[in-house]
Amino acid sequence: MNKLTTALLASSLVASAAFAEDAVLAQKTDRDVTQLTPTSKAWEYVKATTIHLYPQTTVTMNDKKANAVNKDAKAKEARVKAIYDNKNIAFLLEWPDGTKSVQKGYRSDVYGDGFAVQLPVNYKDPKKLPYIGMGSDGRPVVIHLQKAVEAVYEPNGNGNVGDQQVVLNKNMFGDEVKAYEAKVAKLAVRDYQRSFISEGFRSMTEIKDGSEKFSADMSYGNKAWKGTVVRPLKDAYLSLKGGFPVAFAAWDGAKMNRDGLKLLSTWIPVKLVGQSGGEKLVSELSAPVKGDAENGKNLVMQNGCMGCHYIPGMSEPGYMAPGLANIGGYSTAAYLRESMVDPNAVVVPGYNRNAHPNTPWYNEVDGKRQSTMPPYPLDDKSLDDMVAYLKTLKAEVK
Amino acid sequence: MSKRQLAMVMDLNKCIGCQTCTVACKTQWTNRNGREYMYWNNVETYPGTGYPKNWMELGGGFDAAGDLQAGVVPNIEADYGVPWDYNHDELQFGEQLKPNVDPTWGPNWDEDEGTGNFPSDNYFFYIPRICNHCTNPGCLSACPRDAIFKRDQDGVVLVDLDRCQGYRYCIAGCPYKKIYFNPKISKSEKCILCFPRVEKGLPPACAQQCVGRIRFVGFLDDEEGQVYKLVHKYKVALPLRSDYGTQPNVYYVPPTEAPPKFDAEGRVIEGSNRVPIEELEKLFGKEVHQAMKTLREEKEKRKKTGESELMDILIAYQHSEMFRLDQDYYQSIAKKQGLSLAPIDNRYMQGKNTENKYKFKVVEYE
Ligand code: SF4
Ligand code: SF4
Repeated sequence: MNKLTTALLASSLVASAAFAEDAVLAQKTDRDVTQLTPTSKAWEYVKATTIHLYPQTTVTMNDKKANAVNKDAKAKEARVKAIYDNKNIAFLLEWPDGTKSVQKGYRSDVYGDGFAVQLPVNYKDPKKLPYIGMGSDGRPVVIHLQKAVEAVYEPNGNGNVGDQQVVLNKNMFGDEVKAYEAKVAKLAVRDYQRSFISEGFRSMTEIKDGSEKFSADMSYGNKAWKGTVVRPLKDAYLSLKGGFPVAFAAWDGAKMNRDGLKLLSTWIPVKLVGQSGGEKLVSELSAPVKGDAENGKNLVMQNGCMGCHYIPGMSEPGYMAPGLANIGGYSTAAYLRESMVDPNAVVVPGYNRNAHPNTPWYNEVDGKRQSTMPPYPLDDKSLDDMVAYLKTLKAEVK
Repeated sequence: MSKRQLAMVMDLNKCIGCQTCTVACKTQWTNRNGREYMYWNNVETYPGTGYPKNWMELGGGFDAAGDLQAGVVPNIEADYGVPWDYNHDELQFGEQLKPNVDPTWGPNWDEDEGTGNFPSDNYFFYIPRICNHCTNPGCLSACPRDAIFKRDQDGVVLVDLDRCQGYRYCIAGCPYKKIYFNPKISKSEKCILCFPRVEKGLPPACAQQCVGRIRFVGFLDDEEGQVYKLVHKYKVALPLRSDYGTQPNVYYVPPTEAPPKFDAEGRVIEGSNRVPIEELEKLFGKEVHQAMKTLREEKEKRKKTGESELMDILIAYQHSEMFRLDQDYYQSIAKKQGLSLAPIDNRYMQGKNTENKYKFKVVEYE
């Protein structure tokens, strides 16, 4: 490890050891929150909670140019507000982005900015929340996604792109074709706004049958985006009561962000002000991390974690196991602990399924992923210390 | 790996670069709805920039350890070329012929240029390229959404348009750059090996229309088939850039029949060949030496004895022999699935594999 990184690591240990994200306080209103947009006046009366979005570096994507521009990506500070009524809850995410990028035109290599809100289906046990990267086996999440994509052409207006018109004889049927095309365009050009259900990378599946009613919107100004997501407190997928976790992601199109190349928060506790319940979850998620990070670092080295995992200053990014460079930013302490004691509880599927056959980070046994990492059933104090150290692994905030 | 693998063999000695295959594919699949710039089939001049521009340098594929390599997503304007059209309709009213966009690049911008000095040693040959329907596809491996699948029945590699979210890692992952981004629907699309035709017993459009009859289509395990004989029995058909590690299933008979070079006085240099063997080795690997030897020997044998099964195959007498699509096989699959008619696979069209994938019970909180 070079001197500079040692120094940086040492200083960040102190600064961030006590750090945890505060709870978002969702205010109750009698008005209908489905009317809220990013620029609604109502937001001014709600207190914002500052959260942090970290570069997703668990898995390495295979786009050379994109990897180069995101090499030293920094974390961003974002602000969250929430308002709820009897039926729905509205979230507002405000995050800085120096460039407004919209995916449009006849181009193959432009990407739109965007954001997503993620909610766990089951949050009864704060120690067993879904994996932050799109859920995990048996721990599903619902994701609401809004991207700055100018228009998506889907001829039956129902997300079905298989159904496409063939225009063969423009000369003979010119006018009819034009009229038909106009009709199709009206039906087909829709906003890139989608809901998904997901149990881990690669499993994310769009909910297309209308059973998930949500709306989203984005608005750019003053070098920042504001995005709103409004969804029911209860529907066929989720029941949001008292206190529950939420996570946010943001994509920067100018940095070729899409899919896994993004900024991601940890599970942020939300408290529905005026409703009881969820206190334990909220306090657990916002509690500062205990443990001796310095000692944890030594334990991480002694146990040879960097033999497989990428840990900045200790090892190089590679394929063998999930990269830990920002794990402290987007993981909860409970998740880190669970992963060491029981690596099979949540096995992060690699993005590139067949890409590193000689060093698989899991094997599939009877269709279930079995981690190649052995469990580390260390004593409580050691685990606390290691978690405290891992929580320091994250990019600086720009 | 799929249970069976459909494959194509292209005889480069007979390709005349007429682009009939290109047009066959374009009119069948890609002249509309955001696919205008795509050439699922293209015929490029080698040596040349190819399509997209310098595709061999854009990464993707696997290294010797089997790790997926990072790649680049090409730009339509600079690397593929924005398609343009002419104002033919207006010519009768006295207008000048002009294109509707300012053409700066396009496929075959350098067609027939080749390399070397005319007339002594210049050369080029044509390489028609389609998706290789690889056994270890780079595109599939790169997809973070499991949106690309390889059909078990015949190894055809398809994009499930329902799962595809237009992230384009597949384009970076394919070393042949044979999968494209459709900007209109914001999803990736590629050659489908004409599976709806094949399932009904018709050969792929590009193969059917080929005037040089250079294309053979069949299952690699069909020992009676010409594809099997060219690839496995005579070993004269070789995959393109197999060093990319995707195990491609389109095979090429290398160009053995190039004219000799001329000396300074314009006389033929006996025994010379304009196509440098190093170039062929780069494209088809070391096996190209043996393949060329076999081809020449069989040609001699045919000259002397009038007999050579290999030469007979390469003459391509009958479409019925060149295309062995095993319709009974597809029919039997369709029957097993209770379908009276192909297609046997509707995922491509409707994203059927994503429907009802997850059934949730909402967790109640009291
Ligand atoms: S040639 Fe490219 S697009 Fe076709 S299967 Fe192989 S990797 Fe995929
Ligand atoms: S097989 Fe069909 S889809 Fe593929 S290049 Fe040939 S004509 Fe086009």
